[in-house]
Amino acid sequence: METLPLTEPVLLILLSLAGQAQHGYAILKDVEAMSNGRVVLSTGTLYGALRRLLEDDWIERFEEEESPRGRQAYRLTPQGRRNLQLEIQRMKHITRLASLRVARQES
Amino acid sequence: MIAWYRKLLCLYPAEYRKRFSEEMLAVLFQEREENAKRRLKNRARVVVRETAGLLRGALNEHFRMITEIHEQLSFVTGRFAMRNGFRFPKSTIVFMALILGGVLTAIKMGEDIATSVPHDIGPIAPIHIQPVHSILLGGMPLFFAFFYAAGLIGWAILFALRRSGVHRLDSMSVEQK
Repeated sequence: METLPLTEPVLLILLSLAGQAQHGYAILKDVEAMSNGRVVLSTGTLYGALRRLLEDDWIERFEEEESPRGRQAYRLTPQGRRNLQLEIQRMKHITRLASLRVARQES
Repeated sequence: MIAWYRKLLCLYPAEYRKRFSEEMLAVLFQEREENAKRRLKNRARVVVRETAGLLRGALNEHFRMITEIHEQLSFVTGRFAMRNGFRFPKSTIVFMALILGGVLTAIKMGEDIATSVPHDIGPIAPIHIQPVHSILLGGMPLFFAFFYAAGLIGWAILFALRRSGVHRLDSMSVEQK
């Protein structure tokens, strides 16, 4: 079960699906690109995370229409999008707080 | 390489394989195609990463499956309606400690009586008294640790031989009443 705060790989997977629906390999490449090559997921790790997100109803799987052999793709559910927004809010708060504290220490 | 990955995917639980294995193989196939142009060192790195990921994933899925089944079993009524808490309540630990204390006290009292009896009475007097309780207290943790380790090794062997019964949990379903 996924809980907030999210781990970095899960956050990047959700961000990858926030813009558009993607299939497995596209998610792998997108996560790698978003993190500038810092987070490189293996297929086993990616599908473990996708399975958990599917079970928690954060994402859903569907068959891509214009794809060979009925390839499966993933997209965010309304609940997944809500949770992603909550996580972004939390991170914004932390970033703001950190900036304030660090600035106060430096001045 | 795909044959290797296919073998590794066999380590996943049946339900998971049915749902994701084709898709995972398609991803691995795409990755192999892309890596074919790279250097041998990079290709080897990808293979190691994917192998480790699949092994870890299979282990996680089996662990999840076992823990989920245990959770389900604890809530159904009837034959499997036993929770861990009922099988070994915390009060048992208190009672066991009391019994151990009683046994040690009895040994100590026996020792005191034996040493208070004069040695020259003959066959009634003990020849040599060992401080039994100290040996018992020192030896018991070792004794339990030894049998616990032996049990773990035995279970690991049964698991490797697929005789532990865990593998049969794949096809097991529990209906809640």
